[in-house]
Amino acid sequence: MKQMGRGTGNWKRISWDEALTEISQKILEIKKKDDNLLGMALTKYSGNFGITHYGVEGMMSSLGYTTRFVGTPCWPAGIDAQNFDMGNMWCNDPEDFVKSKYIIIWGGNPAWNSVHTMKFIYEAQDKGAKVVVIDPILTQTAAKADVYVRIKTSQDGVLALGMAKHIVDKKLYDKEFVTKYAKGFDDYLNYLNKSVTVEWAAKESGVPADVIRQLAEEFAKADPATIWAGYGLQRHTNGGNNVRAIDALVAMTGNIGKEGGGARYGHLQTWGFNYNAMVQKQPKGSKGYLGKDIIKSEFANDEAQAAAYANRTININKLAESILTTNEPPIRLLWVACKNPFAQDFDRPKLLKAFETLEMVVVVDQFFNETVQNADIVLPSTTLFEENTVNVSYWHYWIGLNEKAIPNQYEAKSDLQIAALLSKKINELDKGSCTFPQITDTQVWMEKEFNDGIHKFFGIKSWKDLKDGPRKAKIASSASWSDKKFGTPSGKYEFSSDQAEKFGHTKLPEFKERRKAYDKFRVLTPHTQFGLHSQFVNVDYMEDFNKEPYVYINPKAAKAKGIKEGDMVKVENKVGNVTVKARLTENVAVDVILMYEAWFKKGDFNVQNVVDDESSDMGTFKTGAPGVAIHDQFADIAKA
Amino acid sequence: MKKQMAFMVNSKKCIGCYSCAMACKNQYHQEVDVVWRNLVPLEKEDYPHNDRAFYSLACNHCATPICVEVCPVQAHVKREKDGIVVHSSDKCIYCRACIEECSYGASKDNKVLERAEKCSMCVERIDAGLKPACVQGCPTKALTLVELSELNDKDAVQYPAGFGKHTDLNPSTRFKVASVPELVMTKKDS
Repeated sequence: MKQMGRGTGNWKRISWDEALTEISQKILEIKKKDDNLLGMALTKYSGNFGITHYGVEGMMSSLGYTTRFVGTPCWPAGIDAQNFDMGNMWCNDPEDFVKSKYIIIWGGNPAWNSVHTMKFIYEAQDKGAKVVVIDPILTQTAAKADVYVRIKTSQDGVLALGMAKHIVDKKLYDKEFVTKYAKGFDDYLNYLNKSVTVEWAAKESGVPADVIRQLAEEFAKADPATIWAGYGLQRHTNGGNNVRAIDALVAMTGNIGKEGGGARYGHLQTWGFNYNAMVQKQPKGSKGYLGKDIIKSEFANDEAQAAAYANRTININKLAESILTTNEPPIRLLWVACKNPFAQDFDRPKLLKAFETLEMVVVVDQFFNETVQNADIVLPSTTLFEENTVNVSYWHYWIGLNEKAIPNQYEAKSDLQIAALLSKKINELDKGSCTFPQITDTQVWMEKEFNDGIHKFFGIKSWKDLKDGPRKAKIASSASWSDKKFGTPSGKYEFSSDQAEKFGHTKLPEFKERRKAYDKFRVLTPHTQFGLHSQFVNVDYMEDFNKEPYVYINPKAAKAKGIKEGDMVKVENKVGNVTVKARLTENVAVDVILMYEAWFKKGDFNVQNVVDDESSDMGTFKTGAPGVAIHDQFADIAKA
Repeated sequence: MKKQMAFMVNSKKCIGCYSCAMACKNQYHQEVDVVWRNLVPLEKEDYPHNDRAFYSLACNHCATPICVEVCPVQAHVKREKDGIVVHSSDKCIYCRACIEECSYGASKDNKVLERAEKCSMCVERIDAGLKPACVQGCPTKALTLVELSELNDKDAVQYPAGFGKHTDLNPSTRFKVASVPELVMTKKDS
C-alpha cells in the first residue's frame, strides 16, 4: 500500500512489483546522489526475535554500507553492569528458583511479564522460601510476595548499599568468596565504611533502617539466596549503577555461582547460531562510512566489517534526534521492520517532526499502527504463524522451532521474502546492486542457522529433532559461574572495575544521584499485562478484557486535583501530553502516576508523548549505545 | 454423595493473567464481547489492594441449577454422571430465561447469534479425557478441576468474600482466598 501524503490516510493499493520498484529506484537515486548508501537507515528491534529475522540486517548489508540504529531500548544498562562485574550477563536457569531459600524480586513484575516463571517461585515458596518484592509499584508480583517493599523509584542502588553496609558491620559476608574469587572487595568495604550508613540509605530509599537491617541479615544468612534484578530498575540515569550495587550484594554473600543463588538478569548462552541470514556481503565497490563503527547487538555476533568502509551506527534510542541532526549524508530513506517506533520510541512529538524530514519511509508491519500512518509505503508482513524460524530465550535455556502453521495470508510476506524480492527487483534495474540470495522458503533459511555447537548444546542431531518439541540445553549446573571463573579481565568478580572507569563510571558501584524531578509527579510507564510492548493489545481476545487505557493515580493526589474515578484527565509535561481516563489506586505512592505502555488500535493513547529520550548511564560497552531513562520522567496531571 | 466435577479457584496462586478467559475464547471463538469465563477483581472490602486479587468465574455447575429449571426446551441439562451443567445452544430458542434468572450471571447473551451461551466445562474435552481449556491454560495451576465428593481440603471455601452467596443454587465452585503481603511502604517517591 502506498500513502498519498504521509499521515493523510489516503492509501492506494499497489502491487508488490510497483512497491519494490519504487523503493529500488529510491535506493539507486540515493546511491547516485551521495555516492554511497548511508542515506538509507534501518531501525528494527524486538518485533520478532526469531533468528532468521536478522535477515533484515542482512538485506541492508546486501545493498551496501548503510546507517543502522544500534543499541537496545530494553536492558543495556544492566547488561553493561553485569559485564563490568562478572564479564558477562549470565543468569542461573530460572527453573532453579525452586532451590532458593530467599528470593528478592527487585524491579521486575514476573506475574505479568514472566508468567512462566511464577510456578517456580511458588514452588520455592511452598518449600519455605521467603519472597521479597522491591518495587515502586505494588505490582501483581508484590501481592504474591511474603514482603512487599515500596522503595523510592531509582533508589535501588542506595538500598543495596545500605544492606551491604549492614552485612559488613555484622561481618556476614562470605570471606572465602571475597578473597579468593573477587577483586577489589577491600576497596568496596572501605567505601561502605567511609560513605554509607544504614540511616542514610533509609532516608534516601524510603525504606526504614530496621527493615534494611532485617532484609540484609535474612539475605546474608539464607543459603542459597538470590536476587532477580528486573529491567525496570536500570531504566534510569543511574540504572546500571543500581544493578552493579545489587550484583555486589549477591556476590559478597557468596551467592554467585550457586544453584538457587545468583544475580539474575538475563543470559545469551543459547544464541550461538550462524546468523547466516544476517551476514551478507556488500555489493562490489560499495562505499561507506570511513569511521570505525562496529555494530554491536546484544544477541547476534558482531557483523563482520570490511577493512576500508563500515556502516554508520546511531543510537537506537535517539531516533528522532538523530534523524533531525544526522548529516553528510542525511537520512533520506528509513526502513522500519520488527518495530513500531511511534509506539515505542521516545519523545513522540519530536519523532513526528523528524519524520517530516525523511524523503521516504518504508514500514514492514502486520497492522495499520501509528508508524504506518507516518509511512509512504507499507509492506504487509506475515505473522509468526506463516513462517518457519527458530527461537531461544534470554532467560530460560530452551530452544524451540516456530513452525509454519498456515500459508501466507493474502499478499503478506516475511522479512526474508521481502529481502529476496527487493534484491531481485533492484538487480533488474541495476545489475550488481544487491547480493541477497533468491531464497524465499523460510524453512531453508531456518535450517541454515544451525551448527554443531547448537546441536551439541541442545543434544540434538539436527533441527528436525525439534519437531518433537522444544529441547533444553545441556548445562553442567543450573548455576551460572559455577566454576567461579569470571569473564572479567582479572578472571574474578570485580567489585572494582577498571573497565567501568574506562567507560566513564566509578570503579566501585558507588552511590549515584538519581535524575532530578522536572515536574510535579513521577511518571512510570512500565509494561502492560495484555501484550508485548505495542504488540497483541489490539488482538480481539485481548480487547475483550482490556478495552481502554488508564492513568493510575493515588486517591490522595486525585482528591487534591479534584479528579474522580473515571474522569478524563490530561497528563502533561515538557515533552507533550496524554489525555486518558483516570483510575484511583493506592498501588502507587502519592506523587507517582502510572500508565502502561501499549498500542490500542482505537484512540490516540501513547505514553511516549510524556517520555523524553534522556539516556541511562550504561549500555555503550556491550550494546553500542546507552539505554533510556524511561522511568525518570515527570509530569503534572489535571482534569481534561 | 453424587459425583460432581467442579472448578477450584485458588486466588492465592492466581496472578490475574486472563489466560483462563482467553483459553476459553480460543477454544470456542465466541463473538466479540461474549465472555463465558472472566476474571473478577475483588473489591476493596474483600481484598485491600486494587486489581491485585481475582476470582476466575464461569458457570458454577450448581447442584440445583436454575437454568435447568427455567429452560423451556431442555437446552440446559445437568449430567447425572458428573454433575456438569451442559448447555446446547442449538436447542436454545433465545427466551432469555436463563440469562435473567441465573444469580451468578453465568448464562451469556449472544446478541449476534440470538441465543444464550455458557460454559459447559468443556464437556467434549472432558469426555475425551482432556482438561477444560481454561484449566489447561492456567500457568500457575491456580484454576484446577476437582471432584467434590473426593475433595478433602480444609482451605477450600464455597462462599468467599466477594462471591455471591446463593445457597438455593448450591454452586459447585470452590475457592482458596488470596493472601496479603507484609507491607513496608515509602509514602512519597520524591
